[in-house]
Amino acid sequence: MSKMKMADGSTILRRNRPGTKAKDFCRWPDEPFEEMDSTLAVQQYIQQLIRRDPNNIDLILKMPESQDEGVWKYEHLRQFCMELNGLAVRLQGECHPETCTQMTATEQWIFLCAAHKTPKECPAIDYTRHTLDGAACLLNSNKYFPSRVSIKESSVAKLGSVCRRVYRIFSHAYFHHRSIFDEFETETCLCKRFTQFVTKYNLMSKDNLIVPILEEENTPGESEA
Amino acid sequence: MEDNSLNMQNGGQMGPQGGSVGNNKQNDEINPKSQYSIPGILHFIQHEWARFELERSQWEVDRAELQARIAFLQGERKGQENLKNDLVRRIKMLEYALKQERAKFHKLKYGTELQQGDMKPPVIDESSESQLDSDQSFVSVSNSTWKQGRQLLRQYLQEIGYTDRIIDVRSTRVRALLGLNNNNADQEDNQNGGGLNANESNKRASETQGRRTPAKKAQPSSLAEAMMLDTEAAVMANLEFLSNTDVDMDDDDDMNDDADIEPGDEIEDDVKMGKKDKMDNDLGLGDDVDAIALEVFNELNRLSEAEKKQDIKTEQGKRAIGINDEDNVDSSLGLGELAQLTVNNDAESTYDIASSKEAFRKTWNAKYTLRSHFDAVRALAFHPTEPVLITASEDHTLKLWNLQKTVPAKKSASLDVEPLYTFRSHTGPVLCLAISGTGEHCYSGGLDGIINCWNVPNSNIDPYDLYEPDILNANLHGHSDAVWGLAVLNSKQYLLSCSADKTVKLWAPHAKQQLLSTYVSEQDGIPSSVDFVRDEPNRIVASYFSLNCVIFDTETGKPVARLESTAADGVNSTARQINKIVCHPTLPLTITAHEDRHIRFWDNHTGKMVHSMVAHLDAVTSLAVDPNGLYLLSGSHDCSIRLWHLDNKTCVQEITAHRKKFDESILDVAFHPSRPYIASAGADGLAKVFV
Repeated sequence: MSKMKMADGSTILRRNRPGTKAKDFCRWPDEPFEEMDSTLAVQQYIQQLIRRDPNNIDLILKMPESQDEGVWKYEHLRQFCMELNGLAVRLQGECHPETCTQMTATEQWIFLCAAHKTPKECPAIDYTRHTLDGAACLLNSNKYFPSRVSIKESSVAKLGSVCRRVYRIFSHAYFHHRSIFDEFETETCLCKRFTQFVTKYNLMSKDNLIVPILEEENTPGESEA
Repeated sequence: MEDNSLNMQNGGQMGPQGGSVGNNKQNDEINPKSQYSIPGILHFIQHEWARFELERSQWEVDRAELQARIAFLQGERKGQENLKNDLVRRIKMLEYALKQERAKFHKLKYGTELQQGDMKPPVIDESSESQLDSDQSFVSVSNSTWKQGRQLLRQYLQEIGYTDRIIDVRSTRVRALLGLNNNNADQEDNQNGGGLNANESNKRASETQGRRTPAKKAQPSSLAEAMMLDTEAAVMANLEFLSNTDVDMDDDDDMNDDADIEPGDEIEDDVKMGKKDKMDNDLGLGDDVDAIALEVFNELNRLSEAEKKQDIKTEQGKRAIGINDEDNVDSSLGLGELAQLTVNNDAESTYDIASSKEAFRKTWNAKYTLRSHFDAVRALAFHPTEPVLITASEDHTLKLWNLQKTVPAKKSASLDVEPLYTFRSHTGPVLCLAISGTGEHCYSGGLDGIINCWNVPNSNIDPYDLYEPDILNANLHGHSDAVWGLAVLNSKQYLLSCSADKTVKLWAPHAKQQLLSTYVSEQDGIPSSVDFVRDEPNRIVASYFSLNCVIFDTETGKPVARLESTAADGVNSTARQINKIVCHPTLPLTITAHEDRHIRFWDNHTGKMVHSMVAHLDAVTSLAVDPNGLYLLSGSHDCSIRLWHLDNKTCVQEITAHRKKFDESILDVAFHPSRPYIASAGADGLAKVFV
C-alpha cells in the first residue's frame, strides 16, 4: 500500500485519527504522486498541493505527466465546488433573500436558477445553494461520472456549464459582498485559482470572467460581437 | 427496339438460314410475322417487362425528386419560422431593454419610478411549438412513403443491372439539383453523427427539430439532468444584448449536443454499468434481487427449524423483560419488506420474536449508494424510525437522505439516492454526528470546534426549496479544538461531546443553560471517543489517548471506574489508539475499537477486559451495536465492514464496502434503530446502505 518506511523503521500512515488536533489535521509528509495507487490519487494529489500552499496556483494546476486531462479537470472542479461551500457558508450570514432578491453580479444580468424544472429567479443565496447542490449531484452522478479514473468525452463536456454556473457565486460575492469575498479570497485564493483554471483549460469564455482578479484582466463589458 | 433484339436472337439461332445479319434485320422490319420460337417469345415478354420497369423506375425517380423538393421547401419554411421566432424574441428582448433604459433615464431625470406596466423580462413564447409539431408529423409521414419508394426504386434498379455506383451518381445529381451538396458536410458535423439517414432534406428538417428537442426534454427525471438541460436563461437588461447573443446561441448549441449525444450515452453507460457490476461482484459487493429473494426463502426455512427458535427463546429469557415488547414492535413495524413476506406467521406470537431476530441473521447486501459528497464521509446516523439518514463529510457539509426517494436505477441492482438537504454551517470538515431519539434534531461536531444543533427538515422536502435559516437551531460553543465524538441520551435529551482540547462536555442543547459540565482526565490526555453507559443513565465513558477508558458519574463529575489496558511500554500509543467506544444497550459491557486491529470488550463493573480479538486486517475505526444488543458491526481501514455475533464473538459476515483515500477507508458504521438497514461511510466520499 501507500505506506512509507521512515528512518526509524515506523510506518507513516496518512490518517486523521479521532482526537487529532485541528492544526494536525492532514498534516503528514507529502506522498509523491507516482506512489499514490488509490483510485482517488488525483484528488489526494490536488488536496496535498493546496494544503502545502494555496497561493502556488501554477503548481496546483500543473498536471502531472501522463495524467488523463479529463480526470484532472474533473477532480479540480470537484475541489472547487467543495471549497465553494466555505464561501456559501459565509454568504448565508449576510446574503439574505430580502436584500439580494435576485442572483446578480453587475446589473447587466439576472441569472435564473437552473435547478428547477423551469429556471426561476431564485434569491442569490438560494441560487448559490441550489447551484452547489446541483453541481454535487451532477459531479457525483453515476450516469455521467461513474468512474474517477476515466471519464468519457461527452461527460467532460459537461464541466464547462458547471464552471459557468458556480463562477456566478464568485461574481455575486465580489460585487455585492465585497468584504466576505476579500476575506475568503485572502484565505483560499479560490477565485484566482478558479479563474486561472477555467482560462487554462478553456472552460469559460473570457467575457464571462467578470471578477477582475488576474492582474492582466482588463475591464469587462465591451465584448466583441 | 425489342424487335431488333429479338431478331438478333433469331439471327443467332437461325443464322445459317437467313444469311447476313443486316439482311435479316431488314427482312424482319418488313415482315414482323417471321418465325416465332418459344424462347424468343419468352425473351420478348421478359424484355418488355424490363422496359416497363425501367420506365416505372424513371417515374419513381421523378416522383422522388419532386418529393425531395417538397420536403426541402418545407424544411426551408420551418427554418424561416425559426428565424422569425428568434427575431421576435430579439425584438422582445430589445423592447425590454429599451423599457429599462427609459425607466433608468426617467429615474435619473425626474427621480421617480416610471410606471410603464409590465417590466418583466420577456418570456420566450413556446406556443408555436405545437403547430410545428403537427407539421413535423406530416413531414415524417411523407418521408416514410418517400423512403419506401426509394427502397423500391433501388430494388428495381438493381434488377435491371444498375449498380450502386450508378445509384450514387444519380443521388448526387438529385442533390445537385436541390442545391444541397455544399451544406451536406456542415450538417454532418452539426448532427454529431446523429443518424445515418441517407436523406438530405430530411436531415435539414431534423436539424430544425433538434433545436426544439431540449425544450421537450425540459422536464428532467433527475436533478443532475436538470443541471444539464437548463435553458441558461440569463436575461440581459441593456442594449449590449446583440453583441452578446452569440453567448446565448452557444448555449443553445450546447443543448443540441446534449440532446444528440444522449442515446449514445445511454448505451455506453449501460455497457459500463455491466462491467462495473462484474467488478463489484468480484469484490463481493454485488447484490442482486435474486440474492435477496433467496434470503427470504432461507429465512422462511429457518423459521421452521424448531431448534433455532428454541435457542432464541432461551436467549430471550435471559434478557430483560422489556425487550419482548420492543421485538413485537420491531416485527410489526420495523421489518419493512420482511415483515410483509413472513406475514403468514404473524398469528403465532412465538414466530414473531423469531422473525425479528432472524432479520439480523440474514446476509446483508449493498442496496443504496449515497453519492453526493465531495470528500470523505466521516460519520452517519439513521433516523430513529424512518428510512432516512444523515451523513457528515469532510467537504464541510451534512446531507439528508431519504432511502425511499431513489433515482430510478438502470441495470444495476444498487440504487442511487440523491440528497434532500445539505446542511451548511461548519467552516471545516464535519467529524461526528448524532440524531436525537425523536428524529427532530441532529447534532454535528466539526474540526472548527463547533457543535451545531439542527432541526431535521421534513423527509419529503423539495431538495431545491428556499433557504430557511432556522434549520440551524443553535451552535454550542465551548470546545477550543476539533470535536471528534458525540453521543445522545434520549431519555434526558442530553448530548455528550469530546474534543481534541482534552475535554469531554455534557450539554442540554435545548435548555437555556446548554453546557452542563466538563470532564477532564489530566493523566489520560485527549479523549478520542465518548458514549453514555446505556444501562446506567447517569454514567458516561470516554476513551483516551492513554489507551485507558474512564467512566464518569455525571452527577458528581468524578471518575467512578477505569478500564485500563496493560500497555506494553515502548509501543507507540497511536499504533494502539482507541478509535471508537460504544456501550452495550442493555448489558454493563463496553466495546472499544483499536488502531491495532483489535476489538476489546470490557466489564463496566470490574473494569477488566473480558475479551480481546483481532477483528480486521487493519485499524478498526468504527463500531455499532444493533438495537437488540445481539450483533456488533465494525468498520476498518482494511476497506471492509464485519458483522459479529456478540454471544460467541464470531464473524457472521464480511463486506468489502469502500475504497481507500490515503490510508483511510471506512470511517463509520451504523445500525438503523428500528428497521433492517445498516450503513457504512467511507473516505471515498460514499455512504452505502445495506439491507
